[in-house]
Amino acid sequence: MATAAASAAFAAKRRFFGALLASISASPTDPRLSMRRTGRDGLRDDDAPASPDALTFPIPSVRWLSRATCGFTTSDHGAFTALGATDDARWTAWLAQQLDPATIVDSACDSRIASAGFTTLNKTAAQLWAAREAVGDSNYSLRMLPIAETECATLIRRIYSKRQLFEVTAEFWHDHFSVFGWDYDGGPMFPAFDRDAIRPHVFGNFRAMLQATCESASMMYMLDLYSSVAGHPNENYARELLELHTLGAENYAGIVSNPDSFANMNLLGHFTSWDGEEERLKYVDDDVYEAARALSGWTISDSNWWGQIGSAPPGTFAYDDTRHDQSTKHILARYFTPYQGQADGALLFDMLAQHPGTAHFVAGKLCRRFVGDLPSNALVQAAADLFHQQWQAPDQLRQVIELILQSDEFKTTWGTKMKRPATSVVSALRALGADFTPVPDNSTTYTPTEELISRLQAAGQRLFYWPAPNGYPDNQIAWSSTGTLGLTMKLLPRLLEMHQVESYNNAQPFIVDVQGQTLAYFTNAADRTAANIIGYWCDRLLGQRPEPTRTIAVDFFRQEAAATAPLDLTTDNTDGGAQHTGVWHLNPPNTLSQHYTIARLRVAIGLILCSPDFLRR
Amino acid sequence: MTSIQRRDFLKGCCVSAVAAGSGSRAYAYFAPPPLLPATATNDTLVVVFLRGAMDGLSLLPPGAGSPLRTDYEAARTNTRVPVSGTGAALTLNGTTWALHPRATGLRNLYQAGHAAFVVGAGQVQPNPIVRSHFEAQSNLEFGVGGGGNGIGWMTRHLVSGGLPANVPLPAVSMGSITANSLLGSSDAITMNSGSDFRLDTFHWSWQNDDAAHGLVGGVNRMNALWGGNATLLERAGMDTLGSLALLRPIDFNPYDAANHPNGYQPSGGANYNLTYNSGFGSQLRNVAQMIKLNLGLRAVTIDLGNWDTHVGQGNPAQSYDWFGNQVSSLSDGLAAFYTDLSSNPSGNLMQRVNVLVLSEFGRRVLENADSGTDHGYGNVMIALGGAVNGGSVYGNVAGLAGSALYEGTDVAVTTDYRRVISEALIRRMGNPNIYYAFPGYSGYSPLGIFQGTDLPPANFDQIFRNGFETA
Repeated sequence: MATAAASAAFAAKRRFFGALLASISASPTDPRLSMRRTGRDGLRDDDAPASPDALTFPIPSVRWLSRATCGFTTSDHGAFTALGATDDARWTAWLAQQLDPATIVDSACDSRIASAGFTTLNKTAAQLWAAREAVGDSNYSLRMLPIAETECATLIRRIYSKRQLFEVTAEFWHDHFSVFGWDYDGGPMFPAFDRDAIRPHVFGNFRAMLQATCESASMMYMLDLYSSVAGHPNENYARELLELHTLGAENYAGIVSNPDSFANMNLLGHFTSWDGEEERLKYVDDDVYEAARALSGWTISDSNWWGQIGSAPPGTFAYDDTRHDQSTKHILARYFTPYQGQADGALLFDMLAQHPGTAHFVAGKLCRRFVGDLPSNALVQAAADLFHQQWQAPDQLRQVIELILQSDEFKTTWGTKMKRPATSVVSALRALGADFTPVPDNSTTYTPTEELISRLQAAGQRLFYWPAPNGYPDNQIAWSSTGTLGLTMKLLPRLLEMHQVESYNNAQPFIVDVQGQTLAYFTNAADRTAANIIGYWCDRLLGQRPEPTRTIAVDFFRQEAAATAPLDLTTDNTDGGAQHTGVWHLNPPNTLSQHYTIARLRVAIGLILCSPDFLRR
Repeated sequence: MTSIQRRDFLKGCCVSAVAAGSGSRAYAYFAPPPLLPATATNDTLVVVFLRGAMDGLSLLPPGAGSPLRTDYEAARTNTRVPVSGTGAALTLNGTTWALHPRATGLRNLYQAGHAAFVVGAGQVQPNPIVRSHFEAQSNLEFGVGGGGNGIGWMTRHLVSGGLPANVPLPAVSMGSITANSLLGSSDAITMNSGSDFRLDTFHWSWQNDDAAHGLVGGVNRMNALWGGNATLLERAGMDTLGSLALLRPIDFNPYDAANHPNGYQPSGGANYNLTYNSGFGSQLRNVAQMIKLNLGLRAVTIDLGNWDTHVGQGNPAQSYDWFGNQVSSLSDGLAAFYTDLSSNPSGNLMQRVNVLVLSEFGRRVLENADSGTDHGYGNVMIALGGAVNGGSVYGNVAGLAGSALYEGTDVAVTTDYRRVISEALIRRMGNPNIYYAFPGYSGYSPLGIFQGTDLPPANFDQIFRNGFETA
């Protein structure tokens, strides 16, 4: 951590640069903007601490809700406050509700999803497969409609569901078992992956989720397991199963010959597993090959040239014993007897689910999701121990999440993470009270759904769009690059300007009606001052009124008027208000405070959204 | 205080590599150091990373006269590149290696002496070798032989490379998220698309400044938001706003008389519109534009993905040729890039632009049962540029069967990828500090791929950069 003096010096340097940027009429050769200039030698400045003491923290309830939901809202906060007499008591009650999502009535979200008119989301895997076969190559957008609808439905749930912790955690598991949603073969099967392989197990059991994801067509295609047969096992799935889904690269020892020798067992570590067998702690390449053999014959019915497997409907999981490698195997030093058929794979999943390496890897990721980029070893180990002990419990993951969210580290830290672009968008739409139902569209109209998805893709985190199975990264280094942060700053203000139905059509209502909400809150015109209005929107978006963000937004909104002077948010242009700007008023003397005030309010709110306070977690 | 922290960091970085076992380096680290090299040039190095392990044996298969052809055909049936008939490989001057038929652009460049291939290239890490894409990519890009501390090799090159005191845009990482090779660099802007990289979404009435009316717009106001606290996030925000301001005056869209009169017009009729992987074409166009703008661009990293052909790789003798689609993106994109920069009206810019193409590892010699290939080891690298001793294949593959193969299955690595990059750094970039860019690397000697002057390889010591510093 930098000292207070270093923090102050750093901040002073940044304020100077900020003023500099503000005063520049930029040309590409303005030397003051050069990436390499005096004082910069090529290495990023390591002075800045990740989360300095000087940072103003929002109050605890705001912090906890920000981290455990898809975005803080004042209405969430109001409901939260009613749950008990102290924050800790409220939090325990809130967690109890959220960790039991079936008991949370979610009618508003359900209605919105119903209103979207999705047609593919409730289809079984067999039905999705049949639809895909029927479409074939004849109509791309029809073929890919299932993933397009899943993308939209997921956005709706993240914005509107009351089961917020469930949605946050579902996102985590989609990253962990990352599948590229737009794969030509797997994409049409994606609703089954989301609905049957991920969601039922979010607060459930890891072992169950592991096997469910394996057996899902989307994952089978992603990692080529569907074509893995005896004699020619495909190692792609087995490698990622070990490296990404369970043990993790942290437990990878590379190519080691004779890994089960006495010497190597000591070198790589070993432990006694649940049934008394001695297993290796670290995995080697041979384990990958052997695991591939153990899973040979695990496939999707009718996904290969040899057609349907037994009576398994096409598109559903099938185990093909005739294509299973029945010979002995050795995985993590455990001996697999021959001719065990499908039990080989089941045993493999058991092994991996109760392996302490898996517990540590997964617990570490969960802590990094909820608490910070660098969680303490103590917290990770505590979560790992619980994960490991409860490996057969049907509510294992619920328990682990609860431990993490009840930890001091979760409760007392702030600014140890930043919002990734998808979270920025969703949390903005939540806090802004958006009325937005994303739906796929195949017309020539440029819809707000299309614009939102396109801009989110440009910012680097379109849903289900990461091409590799390791999932979107989850740390500030990745998401604070100029590309992704810049495109996020571009996306957020645009949310205030987008229209229903046709995104650039002024005749349509906004997806976010800030004017209406502001007027509804400040019914008395005399109260509509810059100080009040910006204060209100800071509360809505940030749960606090931090400086310098608040003052910057106030000063921008009030212009030359006093912060306590009422502003006109109702008079609009002579075009019937279709421009939603307010009134042009650039006449001297300087009355910018009366110039396009309605539009200026939207810009001011956009500024708050582009502040570090909004992007911090 | 800043200096001490960097010093300690650098010590940690280099000491760990020294501990890995290159004893002579331990003494060299503390030897009286050079100041920043006066030999530094303003060439540009563009590294194209083929993500997913490109199958070098299909890009550059053994040709008809090659002693490796028989073993190649024994191992490759459904993924085979034939030497006659439909989809026949393209012959290359002076070598029995041949080129995938859909790499016509690369072939032309090779025959003209501007492109060279290196076979049997790859990572020679301390034991163990890794077969994981992510780990192998990360190892290559951090360049410390395994592991890493969040600083890329390209970053260390830029730090030690003798850049002038003021360079508008020394480095670009094309993509949304900074590539590992440029991680930790304060010289680099990361962006996925030039034309997207601007702030223009506030309502038009309050977006930009209107000096005549004293109106300060939203874009300008954002700068002050990011100076309040000393955090990683705020620093990133400041860098981002600075980058946006730097590039704002540039129109990265293709030229269009009506909508983009200041847009970009490639020279020589270069066509960046690729049938597959169109984003790659656009990004190459952006890079060419930035080079022509004289922003001091010296280091670029750009990605082309989708090479992980475990299933259904295809072959050029049939209509399904997935791998060939990828090859066409690479070849057509690089050909457009070369044409554009070499046809530049005020002078052939390819004389000082150097492109290196590499991948994290190659693919197994024996194809698998899914008409695809699995992870392998030795691979092909490509060097492209006006200052390349092209029209040659460098390096060596002893055989494609039996004991000639690594572990009996993979093309062996006989040329360390660092050797190829180091030659570019020394002969083209004028930076001898290759042992700083690649801690733990030793024994460099040039292959002769690039034109330029040899310099004694060194390990840059930043402590002494400005003379001895007091605490």
